[in-house]
Amino acid sequence: MNGYSRGCGKKAAIAFACATLGFAISGAAQAGIYDAGKVLATSGVNITDGAAGGGITPWAVIAGYETNQGINGSIHYTYANLPNYSLNSLGVAVGFYDRLELSYAYDLLPTGSTFNTVGLLTNTLAGVAIQDSGIDPFNTAIRMDIFGAKLRVLGESIYDSDTLIPQVAIGGFYKINHNGALMDTLLANKRKDFEAYVAITKIFFPLDLLFNVTVRYTAANQTGLTGFGGPNKNSREFRPEVSFAYLLAKNVAIGAEYAAHGKNTDGRGVAVGGGIDTSVLGSITGALNNIGVGGPVGNLANNLNSTLTQRESDWYDVFFAYFPNKNLSFVAAYANLGNITLTPKQTGAYFSVQASF
Amino acid sequence: MKSFYKLVLATAFSLSSLSAFAAGSETPEGKVQSTFPPISSDAYEKFGGKYGMDRWVEGLFKYIMLDNRINYIFTAHGKIDRQIKLNQQLVAVMLGAPGVEYQGASMSAAHAEMGITLTQFNAVVEDAYLACEDLRTPYHTCNQLIAALAPFKRSIVTR
Ligand code: HEM
Repeated sequence: MNGYSRGCGKKAAIAFACATLGFAISGAAQAGIYDAGKVLATSGVNITDGAAGGGITPWAVIAGYETNQGINGSIHYTYANLPNYSLNSLGVAVGFYDRLELSYAYDLLPTGSTFNTVGLLTNTLAGVAIQDSGIDPFNTAIRMDIFGAKLRVLGESIYDSDTLIPQVAIGGFYKINHNGALMDTLLANKRKDFEAYVAITKIFFPLDLLFNVTVRYTAANQTGLTGFGGPNKNSREFRPEVSFAYLLAKNVAIGAEYAAHGKNTDGRGVAVGGGIDTSVLGSITGALNNIGVGGPVGNLANNLNSTLTQRESDWYDVFFAYFPNKNLSFVAAYANLGNITLTPKQTGAYFSVQASF
Repeated sequence: MKSFYKLVLATAFSLSSLSAFAAGSETPEGKVQSTFPPISSDAYEKFGGKYGMDRWVEGLFKYIMLDNRINYIFTAHGKIDRQIKLNQQLVAVMLGAPGVEYQGASMSAAHAEMGITLTQFNAVVEDAYLACEDLRTPYHTCNQLIAALAPFKRSIVTR
């Protein structure tokens, strides 16, 4: 039941996405509808959810370098190195006529030491009525498929420089988290869910500035990596995201992003078995005492109250994006993802590379 | 859920009526381009005044004629010298040069029949940046001109 062994199922989805891209591109070339006419860097980059945008926020731009004359697309690999996790995202996005974008991303989050405590605890408690926590101590990776679609509904961020009309797109994701048992342990209401968003992008050339506001309608916990909704509810809510990029040169941008996150499982414990929620930790400590667990595990139990409380924070990043040409781009960022479930202060470097066709 | 879609629709609707209004307005060849926010008042000076601006247009046409994506369109029409001269007037007026008058046709009259695509328009934009680099014009200064020319897309691109 651990992370890597079930990853093969995902290969089908990746192969499907790659094949789709392949057909789209080769079909485009044959029909003469391949196009790479956008101005350098105006395609944005691919976010960890797979859509075109900044680093974590989808923008109103459509992926790829096509204009209304054709089809284009890109693939990305992103790696974020955090103290207790590493986030890997691999994806493909295809833009049709600068109007419609279809994307797929596979996110993989090896959890490092984060859930070992929970895993060890549930293994220790195995004599007591215990459920599968979805955690294999020292070997747990969260996997999520993300299917996305985006439609540019109006405006042109570049050419409407004489008006305040922004470029506006609406989009959505369907996210499938493959760690069902772990999501139960983390008290998430669902492991599959959709998100919808409106993104508004405007470029202010006189200021060398791109500005984006996105409002996402979602119930995601940590973008869905720890499921959707909390123990009591799965109500989606509107969460704002803001990005700006300062264009240093025609092929270099620096900027910052902010994405509001929810509080579905914030302040909650984890379910370590028999329906026990560690936010009522007395019972766990009691259980441990009853079965006579002392020593390190006993001490552990006494510290569990703080250790096993989940937290969620808004995400921030500052980024540097470099577009040497239309076929290749790189992003280096510093991401502050705050508290991720059981581990505080998850800040670290983020690297992304994209290839366009 | 329902209220969300209503919100999206309402936003899309009100914004599209705005854009219809904007698209209807003819872009001004005869006067300073008004942008949001306004282009910096010293842009013309930063471009090197009349001398720098004139060289910039020559540079632009050098790159256009080297650009296989679009050069054939220009050779088919000939009259490159006339275009250089008129474009020198046009960009000077756009950036607020004193005492310059644009004597050519309106952007829609000059381009409408050619069926120019956005891909071709963007090729000119990329060549414009190259011309800036040739003249050691900083990116920020170059963007003042890009901001002024960008709205012409609506009258030049017809496909
Ligand atoms: C912001 C971008 C552009 C500006 C400011 C611009 C400006 C001009 C001007 C001032 C003229 C002369 C009009 C006249 O003869 O009275 C002209 C003509 C012309 N333009 Fe453009 N133009 C732009 C984009 C383009 C593009 C993208 C193409 C094609 C790829 C193009 C192709 C031509 C051609 C072929 C002519 C000559 C038409 C003729 O002589 O019949 N222009 N343009």
